[in-house]
Amino acid sequence: MERLQSSVVRTPPNSTVVQRRSKSYRQSYRSCLGAPSRLGLTPGLTARRLNSSRRALKSHVITVSHTNPSLTIFYVLLNLQRETLNGHVFYPVLFLLKEKVNPEHLALLVKTEWRLSYVTPLHQFRHTQLKRYSRQLSAFIAAEKQQGVAMEVEGSQSGFRVSFSVVQGLAATDDDAETVLIQIYSTPVFARQDEPQKSVWSGWLTCINGNPEYLESLPKGFTCLPLFGGSGAEVLTSLVKSWFQRTFDCCFGPLEINHTSLQWLAALWTNCHTESNLQHLKMIWTLPVVPPLQVTYTVNPQDAWELWMSVRKDRLERTEEEAEAGSIDIEEVVRFVQGLKSHFYRHFRLDLSAGNLNQVSTTLGSAKSSGKIKISNSRYMITTLTLLTECALLKMPI
Amino acid sequence: MDDSARRLLQRIMRRIPAQMLKPTLDKWGRLTAAQRQSMDFTESKWALTEKLLAICEENEMTVKHITELEMIHVIENPDHCMWYALQLMDPEEDVHSVELTQFKEQFKSHLRELIRHVSIKIKKHTDEAVWIRIAWGDSFSRPNHLKPTYVVHHLQTPYVFVTSLTSKLKPLLSQALVLSTRYQAIKDASLSGRKLTAIRDLLMRQYQQVFPTKYPSPLAENDQNASNILINKEQAELAASRHQKAREAFGDGMLPQLQSAVYKLETKFRDHTNKTMTEREEAFRCVVKFASTNLLESLRHCASSGIASTPGTSLLSSIPLKGRNYFVITDNSPGPSSQTRQPSN
Repeated sequence: MERLQSSVVRTPPNSTVVQRRSKSYRQSYRSCLGAPSRLGLTPGLTARRLNSSRRALKSHVITVSHTNPSLTIFYVLLNLQRETLNGHVFYPVLFLLKEKVNPEHLALLVKTEWRLSYVTPLHQFRHTQLKRYSRQLSAFIAAEKQQGVAMEVEGSQSGFRVSFSVVQGLAATDDDAETVLIQIYSTPVFARQDEPQKSVWSGWLTCINGNPEYLESLPKGFTCLPLFGGSGAEVLTSLVKSWFQRTFDCCFGPLEINHTSLQWLAALWTNCHTESNLQHLKMIWTLPVVPPLQVTYTVNPQDAWELWMSVRKDRLERTEEEAEAGSIDIEEVVRFVQGLKSHFYRHFRLDLSAGNLNQVSTTLGSAKSSGKIKISNSRYMITTLTLLTECALLKMPI
Repeated sequence: MDDSARRLLQRIMRRIPAQMLKPTLDKWGRLTAAQRQSMDFTESKWALTEKLLAICEENEMTVKHITELEMIHVIENPDHCMWYALQLMDPEEDVHSVELTQFKEQFKSHLRELIRHVSIKIKKHTDEAVWIRIAWGDSFSRPNHLKPTYVVHHLQTPYVFVTSLTSKLKPLLSQALVLSTRYQAIKDASLSGRKLTAIRDLLMRQYQQVFPTKYPSPLAENDQNASNILINKEQAELAASRHQKAREAFGDGMLPQLQSAVYKLETKFRDHTNKTMTEREEAFRCVVKFASTNLLESLRHCASSGIASTPGTSLLSSIPLKGRNYFVITDNSPGPSSQTRQPSN
């Protein structure tokens, strides 16, 4: 399978550099990126960075019907050159047709808001043993219930049924492990015999376009599925997490979406406006005054898109390399958001950089800095999950 | 007591919080002493509602009496619905001679002329405000008491505050108000909020205002937080002038509790680093909403802490200056800098 052009990592100019202390001697994720000292950290030299440039958001049509659903993955590269209003030609757009993803799974992934966590690599996780894991997890939940863990979930008098399944078709590269979907059903207390069970909790573990050097550096026996999303009762989420921690010797931690990633999402979603109407680009900032001031900045999608295009055009005029044309650089993202902030400043004399960017939402999805994501359009799922996988890998302590 | 009266009473009982029940019923004054004694206020609200229904049946109360109770409750707690401010324009010559009884009669007769089935109740509150409760019906149906409109008007001022009014009924109310208050027109004041006291104080400027003075030196003594003498020495003057400007722009002391302000911006994008967008002909459309538990307090803190620079010339100072919280800004409308106040010497 031909690999897509990998994102180019460039030293970002200023504020996206984040420093982290680490005493790990194992080859950590960060060491794959730069050239840090193994003996410790000299602040200023070692930097943990998000990829500073990415491929333009492609729409992966992952529900196209396919005559032979089992095997063949084929790529159709359509180089469409489109004219903008001003007659400028911009980057080619790639469409990839992949094998079909189960539409039920997709519907579930798309309509829910997920709370994100990062997961360290799982030891001895086998995709072939899912049935066994389902039984073990239901037994675990039942055992915890007996011990008296408070369960306010409806239907707690009957049993829970757990189902592990693999979501085929989401993994982007050979190195990515297949996405695992977990659903917990419960029978309502006064249900009839044939009434279907209600899903009270769902979650998934995924790795999309994970950094290949890191994945290859993992010792044998470890599966890397760094991104976890859950939706449902908090009690069940913590039970599932503790079962995973016990069974696979891994560690969960909360994943916040920092402002750089939120800005990336804002830019990537705005980029798609011509393909799917955004309806609005909404950003919510919180300013640290007493009492806290919340600023909701909603931009007309067409105007946001034109601003984005003007930022890209400036950069495309400056670079000569054709291959760069498909990728988006962090500078462009920063300039785009800076343009929005300066328009705001011109009117209100308030610098939004003094506050925190808490939420970005469009009709394609919404992302909150507390770590909640909702992807409302299946076409852009892969790229959004790629960004989030990267965040998870960066936040992991090992 | 008919069904609608019963439903209305149940709804009112649901709305009144438990601790306010006794004082509100006492103020209503329609229960005899014996009946008041029989109401045990430690019971659950459901039980009390049933008991009150029985008492009202006994007293043969009608909808008219029940609406009195609702009005008392709303006058005490006006903060549970959204209020919209209206402003009367172009006063006629005899506008100052309008007094309460004349206003009441005129308003009732005008409104009844415009719409046949309407139930009006007017009450004067202790603070010079006239409260009007209107239940609307139409030519075929009786007034609907479950969706009343409340109107508050301070006589001798051109301001009127209304709750929940549909666009169909708004012209009728406007007409009646205009005729009975001796003005010629009424317009929307672009100010809305949950707290009636807040929007009233903002419009009528009933909060502590600070006027620009040349020597604001008494201010320096107010800041008592001396954590680091050297830093304070450097920053004291700057901080004092920032505080002064913030207070000039927004006011001093307790500020009216507005919750939100909405600005609809339709101006051109101008940024010297981005040529393409600056050359663009069309406006850059966006909507900005500021929200906080006390918006003016937040904005004043932004100004005094330096997050907002030059508060006097920004659009934010238009909120207290013009008494509005909904703005549409286009390139042609006069900018906020034209409203700087002249310093008083």
